[in-house]
Amino acid sequence: MSATGLMDQRASRETNHGAGREATRLRASLRRLRTLVVREARATLRDAFTMIALVTVPLVALLAFGFVLSTEVRGLRIGIVDTSESAEGRRLVADLAAGGQFAPIPFATREAAERALVAGELGAVLVLPAGLARSFGGAARAVDPPVVQVLYDGAETILAGNAEAFLRGLVGQSGARLASRVLDGTGDGRVRDGPGEAGPGSVAVTTHALFNPRLEGVPFMVAGTFGFVLSFLTVLITAVAIVNERLSGTFDQLQLTPATNLEILLGKLLPLGAVFSLDVALMVLVAGFVLGVWPAGSVLLFFAVSTFYVATTLSLGLIFSATSATPAEAVQKTVLFSVPLVQLSGFAFPIPNMPTPVQWLAEIFPATHYIRFTRGLYLRGEGVLELWPELLVLGAFGVALVAVALRTLERRA
Amino acid sequence: MRARLAEFVNNVLAVAWREATVMRHDKAFLGTVTMQPVMMLLLFGFALSNEPANVPWAVLDRSQGEESRRLVQEIAATGYFLPPRAVAGYQEGRALLASGDATALVVIPRDFARRALRGAPDVQVLLDGAEPLTAARVGGYIAAVARSFDPSGRALAERTERGGAYAGLAARERAGPLELRGRFWFNPTLADAPFFLAALAGMLLTNICFSASGLGLVGERESGTYEATLSLPISPLEIVLGKLLPYVAMSYVVLAMATLGAGLVFGVWPRGSLFGLLVLTLPFVLASLSVGVLISALARTSAQAVFLTVFVILPSFVLSGVMFPYQLMPDGVREVGAILPLRWYQIGLRRLVLRGAELGDVWLPLLALTLLFAILLALIRWRMSPRLA
Repeated sequence: MSATGLMDQRASRETNHGAGREATRLRASLRRLRTLVVREARATLRDAFTMIALVTVPLVALLAFGFVLSTEVRGLRIGIVDTSESAEGRRLVADLAAGGQFAPIPFATREAAERALVAGELGAVLVLPAGLARSFGGAARAVDPPVVQVLYDGAETILAGNAEAFLRGLVGQSGARLASRVLDGTGDGRVRDGPGEAGPGSVAVTTHALFNPRLEGVPFMVAGTFGFVLSFLTVLITAVAIVNERLSGTFDQLQLTPATNLEILLGKLLPLGAVFSLDVALMVLVAGFVLGVWPAGSVLLFFAVSTFYVATTLSLGLIFSATSATPAEAVQKTVLFSVPLVQLSGFAFPIPNMPTPVQWLAEIFPATHYIRFTRGLYLRGEGVLELWPELLVLGAFGVALVAVALRTLERRA
Repeated sequence: MRARLAEFVNNVLAVAWREATVMRHDKAFLGTVTMQPVMMLLLFGFALSNEPANVPWAVLDRSQGEESRRLVQEIAATGYFLPPRAVAGYQEGRALLASGDATALVVIPRDFARRALRGAPDVQVLLDGAEPLTAARVGGYIAAVARSFDPSGRALAERTERGGAYAGLAARERAGPLELRGRFWFNPTLADAPFFLAALAGMLLTNICFSASGLGLVGERESGTYEATLSLPISPLEIVLGKLLPYVAMSYVVLAMATLGAGLVFGVWPRGSLFGLLVLTLPFVLASLSVGVLISALARTSAQAVFLTVFVILPSFVLSGVMFPYQLMPDGVREVGAILPLRWYQIGLRRLVLRGAELGDVWLPLLALTLLFAILLALIRWRMSPRLA
């Protein structure tokens, strides 16, 4: 049906010569483009599977990824070997349990606790020394502080790192409280918080986190998920759609019509781009209402850049599919591209932590720059003034990829 | 009865032989199978880490004294930081944080030296919350350095001798009147490489198993050879098992590659029972392949199968705990992750490879994986049986 429409246009183009040719050509081009866009939109809307994927994947990604990164400690099972058997030891354990970060589990011997650590049942083991109570007795404190041993399960690197920081703080506070209680003789366990608690000679530190006071992982991951969905879903959907069309032969038919390559390209990009822009809006709303994460910066800028970025990645999908003979090949290219996407784009692992050559590698992914942009805008509320280098790089990528997509179409024509 | 069994085994082997022949000619697939382990090994061994490095930071030193310079030097000596940027004012420092050009801003008060000698100086640290993971760790490092800071300068010589590694910081830490002595078992420097490499086999096998069987089956349905197979006098169970068998064999090859690679290149050899590793891998591979088969049974075209495959692989990586600790995920999310085979396999792998556990220590993951496989097999039979009528 669409093909006949295009044939009519060819006829009309051929009868038009002479004055106003430019204007007529432009009008014809726009008409062809409209036909292509309608065709593409119908094909997309009719495919229930694609539509479901377009709606569910972003939302599921948002909800799943939003929660995975955490800097806190919650309910970590900690084995307690209390060789002191003292009121102070019990007090220390009660303090540990009170915050909800740790779930103390008593063990009779150190061997039993170590065994449980090997079996992965515990996140850490706290060994309270026999001399714990005695050490709090006044003068003994200055001479030699009691040594509390902690064994962490280093196999869970992230957990152990988080737990270590927490435990150090907790034991320090609890110990200070115990000491002051013994020294003051008040027994109510109240101590002042803040400087001085850590003892003479050391430096007290007051910490504030800007933009995200509780250092929650949710805003960080939500902002990154935009980059993930828009980089990956777009490429995959375009690649699969076009290869399928090539297999069924309709793509070759398209290239036989008077429609130019640019028109075919735009006809593909516009409807999908519109759908993904809707996706962006949907994600912003869900992130805001469900997860409570709203962009700190300009929403308008966010939409503008996101739409442009979608055009970039859609072109990439077009290139993948145009250069592949079978759907399997296109998909393999997409998957091969997606592995570094998750791991090197800064979505999951901070780029400064990588070795320098890998950092360079990370810079050549458009997703790296888009994720940097979304995080800057979403979390720090940055605008064009701060983000212009990223925007410049994204713009360059966009122009380059659209150009390459056009070239690949031409080569096939 | 015995004749039935012999026939069953025979049929399964026949299908397996056919499938292996197909596999041997699939160059793209074989390429992926060999390239992927190398790529992932390098990525996780060298490139990816949660441990902060090259952290940009700024110092607002209002005291400009010898003591404050020594504190800055001690923080820099931990090795996590780039050289500090000195800022003249609070606003300048905040601007650096706001543009992401600094992750931490250390503010040293004017009377730092005087208060340091009297015993209670107070230092303010501002962190960039837009990088929560790095910020939390960096804040901890700075606080640890500050807490053990000795204004008289005796400690510095000792600490720089030790290289200022994190392990050194953690080893002997004064925490008020108690001395806290921490030790990281299984991974003394808390490096990320062993953490990821231990689960490398799980990631590779998830990738390969999910996509391999899925693509194969749908492709066959599209080309019509699936119907031809169905017309043979064999049961769907025999077809499924026969199709899985070559992949199981290949999975063990991949397991060997991952284990040898992590051991030879990065020195991360399994510390626990090798036998346990082999036993645990079987139900995991079977369950993962069943997921692939189920996907291909659900999808109508190979494009759909690919789509489904990719979107089962990704949550597997994210929710199973290979990259982020599943223990910290909220309740609903954690339970969803429990239906992924990779969740249980990575639990078992880390026990066997890092903690040096025996087969008996991984009975729970083993049981869970076997159960998952049984459920998936039931689902596949239910889904495929109408097509045989």
